[in-house]
Amino acid sequence: MQAFIQGTGCVSAQDSQVFPGEIRHYDGDRLPVADPDYKQWIDIKQIRRMGRAIKMGVAASHMSLEAAGIKSPDAIIMGTAYGCLADTGVFLQKLVSQHEDMLTPTAFIQSTHNTVAGQIALLLGCHAYNNTFVHRAFSLENALQDSLLMLAEDPSRKILAGATDEITEYSHTILRRFGLYKNASTAALQRSGTPGTMAGEGAAFFVLASGKDDKSLAQLTAVDMLYRPASEQETADRLLDFLRRNGLEPKDISLLLSGRNGDVTSDRYYGTVESRLFESTPVAAFKHFCGEYPTASAFAVWMAAGCLHRGAVPQEAMVKGDAPAAPARILVWNHHQGTHHSFILLEKC
Amino acid sequence: MQDLKEQIIQQLNLQEVKPEDIGDDQPLFKEGLGLDSIDALELIVLLQQHHNIRIAKPEDGPNIFYSVRTMAEYITAEKAKQA
Repeated sequence: MQAFIQGTGCVSAQDSQVFPGEIRHYDGDRLPVADPDYKQWIDIKQIRRMGRAIKMGVAASHMSLEAAGIKSPDAIIMGTAYGCLADTGVFLQKLVSQHEDMLTPTAFIQSTHNTVAGQIALLLGCHAYNNTFVHRAFSLENALQDSLLMLAEDPSRKILAGATDEITEYSHTILRRFGLYKNASTAALQRSGTPGTMAGEGAAFFVLASGKDDKSLAQLTAVDMLYRPASEQETADRLLDFLRRNGLEPKDISLLLSGRNGDVTSDRYYGTVESRLFESTPVAAFKHFCGEYPTASAFAVWMAAGCLHRGAVPQEAMVKGDAPAAPARILVWNHHQGTHHSFILLEKC
Repeated sequence: MQDLKEQIIQQLNLQEVKPEDIGDDQPLFKEGLGLDSIDALELIVLLQQHHNIRIAKPEDGPNIFYSVRTMAEYITAEKAKQA
Protein backbone atom coordinates (compact mmCIF):
# COMPACT_ATOMS: atom_id res chain seq x y z
CA MET A 1 0.00 0.00 0.00
CA GLN A 2 1.40 3.36 -0.98
CA ALA A 3 0.28 6.78 0.19
CA PHE A 4 0.22 10.23 -1.30
CA ILE A 5 1.69 13.10 0.66
CA GLN A 6 -0.98 15.79 0.58
CA GLY A 7 0.70 18.39 2.76
CA THR A 8 3.92 18.82 4.68
CA GLY A 9 5.13 20.92 7.56
CA CYS A 10 8.61 21.20 8.95
CA VAL A 11 10.32 23.01 11.80
CA SER A 12 14.07 22.61 11.54
CA ALA A 13 17.33 24.49 11.44
CA GLN A 14 16.20 25.68 8.01
CA ASP A 15 13.40 28.16 7.38
CA SER A 16 10.88 25.85 5.75
CA GLN A 17 9.24 28.79 3.94
CA VAL A 18 12.36 29.56 1.91
CA PHE A 19 14.36 26.28 1.92
CA PRO A 20 16.11 25.29 -0.34
CA GLY A 21 16.13 28.73 -1.99
CA GLU A 22 17.95 30.03 1.06
CA ILE A 23 20.04 27.67 3.12
CA ARG A 24 21.12 28.52 6.65
CA HIS A 25 24.64 27.58 7.63
CA TYR A 26 25.81 26.93 11.16
CA ASP A 27 29.15 26.68 12.96
CA GLY A 28 29.62 24.77 16.19
CA ASP A 29 28.45 21.36 17.34
CA ARG A 30 24.69 21.72 16.89
CA LEU A 31 22.00 23.06 14.58
CA PRO A 32 19.21 24.67 16.61
CA VAL A 33 15.77 25.00 15.05
CA ALA A 34 14.79 28.27 13.41
CA ASP A 35 11.74 28.79 15.60
CA PRO A 36 8.70 30.13 13.77
CA ASP A 37 6.27 32.39 15.60
CA TYR A 38 4.38 29.64 17.44
CA LYS A 39 1.63 32.07 18.47
CA GLN A 40 0.17 31.84 14.96
CA TRP A 41 -0.93 28.27 15.79
CA ILE A 42 -1.06 28.09 19.57
CA ASP A 43 -2.92 30.27 22.07
CA ILE A 44 -0.48 32.11 24.31
CA LYS A 45 -2.10 30.63 27.42
CA GLN A 46 -1.29 27.16 26.11
CA ILE A 47 2.20 27.96 24.82
CA ARG A 48 3.42 28.67 28.35
CA ARG A 49 3.04 25.01 29.28
CA MET A 50 4.62 23.59 26.16
CA GLY A 51 8.20 22.51 25.81
CA ARG A 52 10.00 22.95 22.51
CA ALA A 53 9.34 19.42 21.30
CA ILE A 54 5.61 20.05 21.67
CA LYS A 55 5.71 23.46 20.04
CA MET A 56 7.73 22.16 17.10
CA GLY A 57 5.38 19.21 16.65
CA VAL A 58 2.23 21.29 16.91
CA ALA A 59 3.58 23.88 14.47
CA ALA A 60 4.71 21.30 11.89
CA SER A 61 1.42 19.41 12.15
CA HIS A 62 -0.60 22.59 11.64
CA MET A 63 1.52 23.56 8.64
CA SER A 64 0.91 20.18 7.02
CA LEU A 65 -2.83 20.22 7.73
CA GLU A 66 -3.12 23.74 6.33
CA ALA A 67 -1.19 22.72 3.20
CA ALA A 68 -3.47 19.72 2.73
CA GLY A 69 -6.60 21.77 3.41
CA ILE A 70 -7.70 19.48 6.25
CA LYS A 71 -9.06 20.62 9.58
CA SER A 72 -9.00 17.34 11.46
CA PRO A 73 -7.32 14.08 10.38
CA ASP A 74 -8.66 10.53 10.77
CA ALA A 75 -5.57 9.52 12.73
CA ILE A 76 -2.57 11.16 14.37
CA ILE A 77 0.49 8.91 14.29
CA MET A 78 3.89 10.16 15.27
CA GLY A 79 7.33 9.05 16.29
CA THR A 80 9.79 10.43 18.78
CA ALA A 81 12.94 8.98 20.26
CA TYR A 82 13.46 11.35 23.16
CA GLY A 83 9.93 12.62 23.71
CA CYS A 84 9.55 15.79 25.71
CA LEU A 85 13.06 15.71 27.04
CA ALA A 86 13.19 19.23 28.47
CA ASP A 87 10.15 18.72 30.69
CA THR A 88 11.41 15.29 31.71
CA GLY A 89 14.61 17.02 32.83
CA VAL A 90 12.71 19.70 34.75
CA PHE A 91 10.56 17.12 36.50
CA LEU A 92 13.48 14.84 37.44
CA GLN A 93 15.58 17.77 38.61
CA LYS A 94 12.79 18.95 40.92
CA LEU A 95 12.26 15.39 42.11
CA VAL A 96 15.84 15.38 43.36
CA SER A 97 16.25 18.99 44.52
CA GLN A 98 12.90 19.06 46.36
CA HIS A 99 13.31 15.60 47.87
CA GLU A 100 10.26 14.24 46.05
CA ASP A 101 8.04 16.84 47.67
CA MET A 102 5.98 19.75 46.27
CA LEU A 103 6.36 18.65 42.68
CA THR A 104 4.50 20.79 40.20
CA PRO A 105 2.12 19.02 37.82
CA THR A 106 2.95 20.83 34.59
CA ALA A 107 6.41 19.38 33.94
CA PHE A 108 5.13 15.88 34.76
CA ILE A 109 2.11 16.18 32.49
CA GLN A 110 4.23 17.54 29.66
CA SER A 111 7.07 15.04 30.03
CA THR A 112 5.50 11.94 28.52
CA HIS A 113 6.41 10.90 24.98
CA ASN A 114 2.83 10.95 23.74
CA THR A 115 2.21 14.50 24.94
CA VAL A 116 2.97 15.92 21.49
CA ALA A 117 0.38 13.83 19.65
CA GLY A 118 -1.99 14.45 22.57
CA GLN A 119 -1.57 18.21 22.35
CA ILE A 120 -2.08 18.16 18.59
CA ALA A 121 -5.34 16.26 19.14
CA LEU A 122 -6.46 18.57 21.95
CA LEU A 123 -5.86 21.69 19.88
CA LEU A 124 -7.74 20.17 16.93
CA GLY A 125 -10.49 18.64 19.07
CA CYS A 126 -9.61 15.40 17.28
CA HIS A 127 -10.82 12.19 18.95
CA ALA A 128 -9.46 9.88 16.25
CA TYR A 129 -6.81 7.16 16.58
CA ASN A 130 -3.77 8.65 18.30
CA ASN A 131 -0.53 6.73 18.56
CA THR A 132 3.09 7.56 19.33
CA PHE A 133 5.94 5.25 18.40
CA VAL A 134 9.02 5.43 20.57
CA HIS A 135 11.54 3.22 18.81
CA ARG A 136 14.66 5.36 18.88
CA ALA A 137 15.78 5.90 15.27
CA PHE A 138 12.92 3.76 13.91
CA SER A 139 10.24 5.97 15.48
CA LEU A 140 9.26 7.86 12.31
CA GLU A 141 9.53 4.72 10.21
CA ASN A 142 7.12 2.84 12.47
CA ALA A 143 4.72 5.78 12.39
CA LEU A 144 4.82 5.71 8.57
CA GLN A 145 4.31 1.94 8.47
CA ASP A 146 1.35 2.20 10.82
CA SER A 147 -0.06 4.94 8.58
CA LEU A 148 0.33 2.75 5.47
CA LEU A 149 -1.41 -0.14 7.27
CA MET A 150 -4.27 2.14 8.32
CA LEU A 151 -4.67 3.38 4.76
CA ALA A 152 -4.70 -0.21 3.50
CA GLU A 153 -7.46 -0.94 6.01
CA ASP A 154 -9.53 2.09 5.07
CA PRO A 155 -8.43 4.05 1.97
CA SER A 156 -10.79 6.92 2.77
CA ARG A 157 -8.69 8.01 5.75
CA LYS A 158 -6.49 11.08 5.85
CA ILE A 159 -3.66 10.53 8.29
CA LEU A 160 -1.40 13.01 10.03
CA ALA A 161 2.00 11.37 10.52
CA GLY A 162 5.33 12.77 11.58
CA ALA A 163 8.08 12.98 14.14
CA THR A 164 9.71 15.37 16.55
CA ASP A 165 12.82 15.44 18.72
CA GLU A 166 14.57 18.18 20.63
CA ILE A 167 18.04 18.93 21.98
CA THR A 168 18.31 20.07 25.58
CA GLU A 169 21.39 21.37 27.36
CA TYR A 170 21.52 18.19 29.46
CA SER A 171 21.09 15.78 26.56
CA HIS A 172 23.61 17.62 24.44
CA THR A 173 26.20 17.68 27.22
CA ILE A 174 25.76 13.95 27.89
CA LEU A 175 25.83 12.93 24.22
CA ARG A 176 28.84 15.14 23.59
CA ARG A 177 30.68 13.30 26.36
CA PHE A 178 30.17 10.11 24.33
CA GLY A 179 32.15 11.74 21.52
CA LEU A 180 29.20 11.94 19.14
CA TYR A 181 29.62 15.61 18.26
CA LYS A 182 32.39 17.85 17.02
CA ASN A 183 32.79 21.53 16.27
CA ALA A 184 32.37 21.97 12.54
CA SER A 185 30.72 24.09 9.90
CA THR A 186 27.63 22.82 8.09
CA ALA A 187 29.06 24.16 4.83
CA ALA A 188 31.99 21.73 5.12
CA LEU A 189 30.46 18.99 7.31
CA GLN A 190 30.17 16.41 4.54
CA ARG A 191 33.87 16.78 3.69
CA SER A 192 35.17 16.98 7.26
CA GLY A 193 36.63 13.45 7.28
CA THR A 194 36.87 13.17 11.06
CA PRO A 195 34.83 11.34 13.71
CA GLY A 196 31.77 13.07 15.17
CA THR A 197 28.92 15.07 13.70
CA MET A 198 26.72 18.07 14.53
CA ALA A 199 23.61 17.59 16.66
CA GLY A 200 20.20 18.51 15.34
CA GLU A 201 16.55 18.68 16.25
CA GLY A 202 13.25 19.35 14.58
CA ALA A 203 9.81 18.17 13.60
CA ALA A 204 8.24 17.22 10.30
CA PHE A 205 4.67 16.14 9.64
CA PHE A 206 2.84 14.83 6.61
CA VAL A 207 -0.79 14.40 5.68
CA LEU A 208 -1.11 11.02 3.98
CA ALA A 209 -3.98 9.78 1.83
CA SER A 210 -4.50 6.78 -0.41
CA GLY A 211 -5.74 8.74 -3.42
CA LYS A 212 -3.95 11.23 -5.61
CA ASP A 213 -5.42 14.68 -6.16
CA ASP A 214 -4.26 18.17 -7.09
CA LYS A 215 -2.72 18.64 -3.63
CA SER A 216 -0.54 15.54 -3.85
CA LEU A 217 3.15 16.41 -3.58
CA ALA A 218 4.75 12.97 -3.85
CA GLN A 219 4.04 9.31 -3.34
CA LEU A 220 5.29 7.47 -0.28
CA THR A 221 5.82 4.04 -1.78
CA ALA A 222 7.46 1.86 0.85
CA VAL A 223 9.30 1.82 4.18
CA ASP A 224 11.68 -0.79 5.53
CA MET A 225 14.01 -1.07 8.51
CA LEU A 226 17.12 -3.07 9.28
CA TYR A 227 18.47 -3.34 12.81
CA ARG A 228 22.14 -3.95 13.51
CA PRO A 229 23.24 -5.45 10.19
CA ALA A 230 26.22 -7.71 10.60
CA SER A 231 28.03 -6.22 7.63
CA GLU A 232 27.76 -3.76 4.77
CA GLN A 233 26.94 -6.76 2.56
CA GLU A 234 23.86 -7.55 4.66
CA THR A 235 22.77 -3.93 4.31
CA ALA A 236 23.34 -4.02 0.54
CA ASP A 237 21.40 -7.30 0.23
CA ARG A 238 18.48 -5.92 2.23
CA LEU A 239 18.46 -2.70 0.25
CA LEU A 240 18.44 -4.63 -3.03
CA ASP A 241 15.67 -6.88 -1.72
CA PHE A 242 13.68 -3.78 -0.69
CA LEU A 243 13.97 -2.32 -4.17
CA ARG A 244 13.07 -5.61 -5.89
CA ARG A 245 10.02 -6.08 -3.65
CA ASN A 246 8.90 -2.78 -5.13
CA GLY A 247 9.69 -3.87 -8.69
CA LEU A 248 12.82 -1.75 -8.94
CA GLU A 249 16.55 -2.06 -9.51
CA PRO A 250 19.20 0.39 -8.23
CA LYS A 251 19.39 2.00 -11.71
CA ASP A 252 15.73 3.06 -11.34
CA ILE A 253 16.57 5.37 -8.43
CA SER A 254 17.00 9.00 -9.56
CA LEU A 255 18.61 10.10 -6.32
CA LEU A 256 19.89 8.39 -3.21
CA LEU A 257 19.30 10.73 -0.27
CA SER A 258 21.65 9.34 2.32
CA GLY A 259 21.99 10.07 6.01
CA ARG A 260 25.69 10.97 5.77
CA ASN A 261 26.47 13.15 8.75
CA GLY A 262 30.13 13.99 8.33
CA ASP A 263 31.26 11.35 10.82
CA VAL A 264 33.95 9.45 8.96
CA THR A 265 33.25 6.31 10.98
CA SER A 266 29.55 5.99 10.21
CA ASP A 267 29.72 7.46 6.70
CA ARG A 268 31.88 4.53 5.61
CA TYR A 269 28.70 2.42 5.62
CA TYR A 270 27.16 4.60 2.95
CA GLY A 271 30.29 4.70 0.82
CA THR A 272 30.74 0.93 0.77
CA VAL A 273 27.12 0.11 -0.08
CA GLU A 274 26.86 2.96 -2.59
CA SER A 275 29.90 1.64 -4.47
CA ARG A 276 28.27 -1.81 -4.68
CA LEU A 277 24.73 -0.79 -5.64
CA PHE A 278 24.63 2.84 -6.68
CA GLU A 279 27.85 3.48 -8.56
CA SER A 280 26.13 5.57 -11.24
CA THR A 281 23.35 7.03 -9.05
CA PRO A 282 23.60 10.65 -7.85
CA VAL A 283 23.90 10.80 -4.06
CA ALA A 284 22.73 13.66 -1.85
CA ALA A 285 22.80 14.21 1.90
CA PHE A 286 20.56 16.12 4.28
CA LYS A 287 22.13 16.16 7.74
CA HIS A 288 24.22 19.26 7.02
CA PHE A 289 20.82 21.00 6.79
CA CYS A 290 19.17 19.60 9.92
CA GLY A 291 21.84 17.94 12.09
CA GLU A 292 21.92 14.42 13.48
CA TYR A 293 19.05 13.19 15.66
CA PRO A 294 17.11 9.92 15.83
CA THR A 295 14.14 11.14 13.79
CA ALA A 296 16.17 13.12 11.24
CA SER A 297 14.71 10.88 8.52
CA ALA A 298 11.51 12.95 8.91
CA PHE A 299 13.44 15.95 7.60
CA ALA A 300 14.71 13.76 4.74
CA VAL A 301 11.16 12.72 3.79
CA TRP A 302 10.07 16.37 3.92
CA MET A 303 13.03 17.40 1.75
CA ALA A 304 12.54 14.51 -0.70
CA ALA A 305 8.83 15.27 -1.10
CA GLY A 306 9.73 18.89 -1.87
CA CYS A 307 12.37 17.84 -4.42
CA LEU A 308 9.94 15.50 -6.19
CA HIS A 309 7.19 18.12 -6.23
CA ARG A 310 9.43 20.94 -7.45
CA GLY A 311 11.32 18.65 -9.83
CA ALA A 312 14.65 19.93 -8.55
CA VAL A 313 17.31 18.98 -6.02
CA PRO A 314 19.48 21.67 -4.40
CA GLN A 315 23.08 21.41 -5.58
CA GLU A 316 24.21 22.09 -1.97
CA ALA A 317 22.76 18.69 -1.05
CA MET A 318 24.87 16.72 -3.52
CA VAL A 319 27.79 14.61 -2.34
CA LYS A 320 28.22 12.59 -5.56
CA GLY A 321 27.23 13.46 -9.11
CA ASP A 322 25.12 16.34 -10.31
CA ALA A 323 21.68 17.20 -8.97
CA PRO A 324 19.22 15.30 -11.16
CA ALA A 325 16.69 17.34 -13.10
CA ALA A 326 13.10 16.31 -12.39
CA PRO A 327 13.86 13.25 -10.22
CA ALA A 328 11.26 10.48 -10.49
CA ARG A 329 12.28 8.34 -7.51
CA ILE A 330 14.17 9.24 -4.36
CA LEU A 331 15.41 6.59 -1.97
CA VAL A 332 16.05 7.86 1.56
CA TRP A 333 18.58 5.64 3.28
CA ASN A 334 19.40 6.73 6.78
CA HIS A 335 21.25 5.05 9.57
CA HIS A 336 21.63 6.21 13.13
CA GLN A 337 24.88 5.25 14.84
CA GLY A 338 25.24 2.23 12.60
CA THR A 339 22.46 0.31 14.30
CA HIS A 340 19.19 1.64 12.89
CA HIS A 341 19.07 1.54 9.08
CA SER A 342 15.90 2.68 7.35
CA PHE A 343 14.88 2.79 3.71
CA ILE A 344 12.05 5.06 2.57
CA LEU A 345 11.07 5.14 -1.09
CA LEU A 346 9.32 8.18 -2.51
CA GLU A 347 8.15 8.74 -6.06
CA LYS A 348 6.94 11.59 -8.21
CA CYS A 349 3.19 11.66 -8.66
CA MET B 1 1.37 42.08 46.37
CA GLN B 2 3.96 43.02 43.73
CA ASP B 3 6.19 40.15 44.93
CA LEU B 4 3.24 37.74 44.89
CA LYS B 5 2.37 38.75 41.32
CA GLU B 6 5.97 38.10 40.26
CA GLN B 7 5.87 34.70 41.96
CA ILE B 8 2.63 33.81 40.16
CA ILE B 9 4.05 34.87 36.80
CA GLN B 10 7.20 32.82 37.38
CA GLN B 11 5.42 29.74 38.75
CA LEU B 12 2.84 29.65 35.95
CA ASN B 13 5.28 30.79 33.23
CA LEU B 14 2.84 33.51 32.18
CA GLN B 15 4.69 34.66 29.10
CA GLU B 16 4.18 38.29 28.09
CA VAL B 17 2.30 39.07 31.34
CA LYS B 18 3.83 41.75 33.60
CA PRO B 19 2.97 42.24 37.28
CA GLU B 20 1.18 45.53 36.45
CA ASP B 21 -1.06 43.63 34.01
CA ILE B 22 -2.63 41.71 36.92
CA GLY B 23 -5.17 43.74 38.89
CA ASP B 24 -5.19 43.30 42.66
CA ASP B 25 -8.86 42.31 42.64
CA GLN B 26 -8.98 40.74 39.17
CA PRO B 27 -10.28 37.15 39.28
CA LEU B 28 -7.41 34.73 38.65
CA PHE B 29 -9.54 32.00 37.10
CA LYS B 30 -11.90 31.83 34.16
CA GLU B 31 -12.85 35.28 32.93
CA GLY B 32 -10.01 37.06 34.72
CA LEU B 33 -6.46 35.88 34.15
CA GLY B 34 -7.89 32.70 32.60
CA LEU B 35 -6.15 30.21 34.85
CA ASP B 36 -7.33 26.60 35.02
CA SER B 37 -7.25 23.59 37.35
CA ILE B 38 -3.60 22.77 36.62
CA ASP B 39 -2.71 26.33 37.58
CA ALA B 40 -4.60 25.83 40.85
CA LEU B 41 -2.22 22.99 41.70
CA GLU B 42 0.73 25.18 40.76
CA LEU B 43 -0.56 27.94 43.09
CA ILE B 44 -0.88 25.43 45.96
CA VAL B 45 2.76 24.47 45.38
CA LEU B 46 3.69 28.18 45.23
CA LEU B 47 2.21 28.73 48.70
CA GLN B 48 4.15 25.77 50.06
CA GLN B 49 7.45 26.61 48.39
CA HIS B 50 7.56 30.36 48.84
CA HIS B 51 5.54 30.84 52.03
CA ASN B 52 5.61 27.49 53.81
CA ILE B 53 1.82 27.41 53.91
CA ARG B 54 -0.24 24.29 53.37
CA ILE B 55 -3.95 24.72 52.76
CA ALA B 56 -5.71 22.79 55.51
CA LYS B 57 -9.19 22.88 53.99
CA PRO B 58 -9.30 22.28 50.22
CA GLU B 59 -12.83 23.71 50.12
CA ASP B 60 -11.33 27.11 50.99
CA GLY B 61 -9.35 27.07 47.71
CA PRO B 62 -11.82 29.04 45.55
CA ASN B 63 -11.91 31.87 48.12
CA ILE B 64 -8.14 31.90 48.72
CA PHE B 65 -7.27 31.89 45.03
CA TYR B 66 -10.00 34.26 43.89
CA SER B 67 -7.57 37.16 43.31
CA VAL B 68 -4.07 38.33 44.17
CA ARG B 69 -5.54 40.32 47.07
CA THR B 70 -7.34 37.31 48.58
CA MET B 71 -4.16 35.25 48.23
CA ALA B 72 -2.09 37.99 49.88
CA GLU B 73 -4.61 38.32 52.75
CA TYR B 74 -4.54 34.55 53.29
CA ILE B 75 -0.72 34.50 53.32
CA THR B 76 -0.62 37.41 55.79
CA ALA B 77 -3.15 35.72 58.09
CA GLU B 78 -1.38 32.34 57.98
CA LYS B 79 2.03 33.90 58.66
CA ALA B 80 0.56 35.75 61.65
CA LYS B 81 -0.68 32.40 63.01
CA GLN B 82 2.77 30.87 62.50
CA ALA B 83 4.56 33.76 64.24
